[in-house]
Amino acid sequence: MIKIKNLSKKFGNLVVLKDVSIDIKAGEVISIIGPSGTGKSTFLRCINLLDQPSGGSIQIDGVNILDPKADVPKVRQKMNMVFQSFNLFSHLSVMENLTIGPVKLRRMNPGDAERKCMELLKLVGLAEKARSYPDELSGGQKQRVAIARCMAMEPQIILFDEPTSALDPTMVSEVLAVIRRLAKEGMTMLIVTHEMDFARDVSNRVLYMDEGSIYEDGPPAQIFENPQKERTKAFINRVRSLNFHISSPDYDLYAMNAEIETFCEKQILPLKTRENLLLVVEEMLQMYNPLLSSNTLEVTLAYSEKREHFELLFDSQGEALNLLDKNQLPDELGMNIIKSLTESIEYQRMNNMNRLSLGLKKTER
Amino acid sequence: MIKRVSFKHLWLLSVVVLSVMIGSTLHATTKLVSPDDLKEKRIGVLLGTIYDGYSTKTYPKATILQYKTKSDIVLALKTDKIDASIYTYESLPEIFQSNDDIGLLGKPLFSFPIALGFNKQNDTLREKFNNFLREIKKNGVHDEMISRWITNGEVTMPEIKNSKKNGTLTAGIVSDKGLPFMILKNNQLAGFDVELAERFAAYLGKELKMVDMEFGGLIPAVASNKIDFIASTLMITEERKKLIGFSDEYYNLHAAAFALKKNMPGSGGGATAPSLSFYRSVANSFRSNIIEEDRWKIILDGLKTTVTISVLATIFGTLLGSLVCFMRMSKNVMLSLPAKVYISILRGTPVLVFLMLIFYVVFASVSIDPVLVAVLAFGMNFAAYAAEIFRSGIEGIEKGQTEAGISLGFNKVKTFLFIVLPQTIRRIFPVFKGEFISLVKMTSIVGYIAVQDLTKASDIIRSRTFDAFFPLIMVAILYFLISWFLLLLLELIERKIDPKSKIKLVPKA
Repeated sequence: MIKIKNLSKKFGNLVVLKDVSIDIKAGEVISIIGPSGTGKSTFLRCINLLDQPSGGSIQIDGVNILDPKADVPKVRQKMNMVFQSFNLFSHLSVMENLTIGPVKLRRMNPGDAERKCMELLKLVGLAEKARSYPDELSGGQKQRVAIARCMAMEPQIILFDEPTSALDPTMVSEVLAVIRRLAKEGMTMLIVTHEMDFARDVSNRVLYMDEGSIYEDGPPAQIFENPQKERTKAFINRVRSLNFHISSPDYDLYAMNAEIETFCEKQILPLKTRENLLLVVEEMLQMYNPLLSSNTLEVTLAYSEKREHFELLFDSQGEALNLLDKNQLPDELGMNIIKSLTESIEYQRMNNMNRLSLGLKKTER
Repeated sequence: MIKRVSFKHLWLLSVVVLSVMIGSTLHATTKLVSPDDLKEKRIGVLLGTIYDGYSTKTYPKATILQYKTKSDIVLALKTDKIDASIYTYESLPEIFQSNDDIGLLGKPLFSFPIALGFNKQNDTLREKFNNFLREIKKNGVHDEMISRWITNGEVTMPEIKNSKKNGTLTAGIVSDKGLPFMILKNNQLAGFDVELAERFAAYLGKELKMVDMEFGGLIPAVASNKIDFIASTLMITEERKKLIGFSDEYYNLHAAAFALKKNMPGSGGGATAPSLSFYRSVANSFRSNIIEEDRWKIILDGLKTTVTISVLATIFGTLLGSLVCFMRMSKNVMLSLPAKVYISILRGTPVLVFLMLIFYVVFASVSIDPVLVAVLAFGMNFAAYAAEIFRSGIEGIEKGQTEAGISLGFNKVKTFLFIVLPQTIRRIFPVFKGEFISLVKMTSIVGYIAVQDLTKASDIIRSRTFDAFFPLIMVAILYFLISWFLLLLLELIERKIDPKSKIKLVPKA
């Protein structure tokens, strides 16, 4: 139904989308997931031509809508959009929000339009709000009205742009329930969302987008249970990481510690974990200290939310050298501390780099 | 016990004492005996007249205060804003008649010739007038006129036969000049200048059209050919000669000073008139200012003019403002830049200046109804403000609603019409109403381009009755009523176009 080829979008010098190609078939429910700022929303807006693509082609039912001769408003009628911020027409009642499209654009008789829209309002559970105005509704109700407004135009596909991101957590489920119902009825949908569980069970296809392109495309079982590519894995396991680049022995330890503390607070980690982490990092840096005047050190702290696991990576240049080898150590005190706080220590020599990876022991909550 | 007085208090005390001393010497204590006593006083004069120049030169230490009408001078004198005034001796009897607390100060000061003023290029008309003047001086008509208006103080016009076959002649006048030269009686102009102009028109066989203006507007008007000549006791001065051509002199006027009787010897220090009860005096004012000589007709006409200009200027300004707003919001610099320039210029110039520029410069050589000019000028000014109001209204609508409209399949124009515009109107209405009210009040300056609006009507009445307060208060109330009524009308329209406000009127169950 929709064929997108080599779609790209630039805002000035900033490349937001590059070479996005995808075929969407009728009846598909596609979730688009990925980190913030990777062009998911821009992708949707480009399909709808709310943002003009910089290159590529979009074919809908065989018509290239980027062709200057294409009747874009007509094409948009087949392809409606639900926005993060609802965007209901605030001067019109709920019923008028639904009927304005069919009456003004499809020359539908106002009476018929009202009857049909009443059915739609029943479908989304808001029949009794037909005469209310948008500012009298809750966020969840507004978004359900917005969905019904799209349905009123009888589109072939609905584009959802983060439909629940602006909602209170208590209202998310009522909106998701309506979308689930549409999915069951066979509506073709493209949903940008951060609700992973919802994306897993509502969609039959998932796109993982990263850095302006579709990084991995597959059925939900593949993407969520067994992601094939590294960044997808990191995203699915909800790995958050923190990086430090140390190139002199006079690095600012206090600033680094403060950053680690903020990071731990953000992940809502137990105090004990934070203390252990700081201790391990400090001991490790103690050991690396003599090397820092000639070599640089990369420290990566990665936390997987899903596995509740902390991994510490220390990458240093120079000759092959395992600092934690017994023969290298000046005393065993530091080593003992590290050993008592970690569950695994591995040494790797790769690409002329020494890598020490440490797994932090879990602490009781 | 020694009381300590701080230096600051001493200083304050001396200032108070000093100011009291100065105040009493300057105003109340010394009586005015002759014009020589005016040396250090406050003298009120008519702006731009020969008295203005004379006072400045003769009394360099005096404070000269310039007023725009004779009635303003009388009002200033009575409310102790000035000590005396110098004015045309021949016009004073009229003032004394309706204000018995004012009297002549000494003898007339000097005399000077008056003439008609013509456009410098129009020597033919000027020569014709000079011939006409020689003729009436010879056949006695001129003497007749002097005795009728100046010696006997009559107030009714004689009949003048005029064939009116040769088109029209336009004379610029100032209707509140006063007797014996120009008065408005029973809504008819009469006086020496009126008869002179009428006789001159009859001599040419042309129909006379008299345009009532501010005195300051006369010379620009004749210089820009808005009027054919000035008939308003115009004194011949060197400065004016540079701008206009004078006819031969038709009369020698005298200048004299006048002041409140209580400030002059012989009055016994202020015998005030028996005071009437408040209601009686209001009733008297009402009769003299509104009923006598059908003066309510002038007010009604003024009212109509004010409302016409306000309403038409608003409609024109709104339409033009929409266009300017559209251009201002365009991404095309060729459209947005002119709009920006237009808005800053129109908002940065006083309306009065703009109005005069349009009338005297832009339409200098075009015969155009001044009411139309007023509508144009106020409309253009209103458009600049309206454009910015509209823009703020449109930009205040979340972009998301426009996007929602577009994604539903509306094109840009329909999205604007069905979604943005209705909300914009609702939002800008309160500000728009305010701007409209200020426009209504702003129209009170149209007197400058010879339009008789409500304010001008009150000026005319004031110049006849010399009633200081009643006409001003009456006009203030009338402006308030117009604004209020027009506002109600606007609110009615607002209800019509905004269904939501209708619903909000019904309390929620």
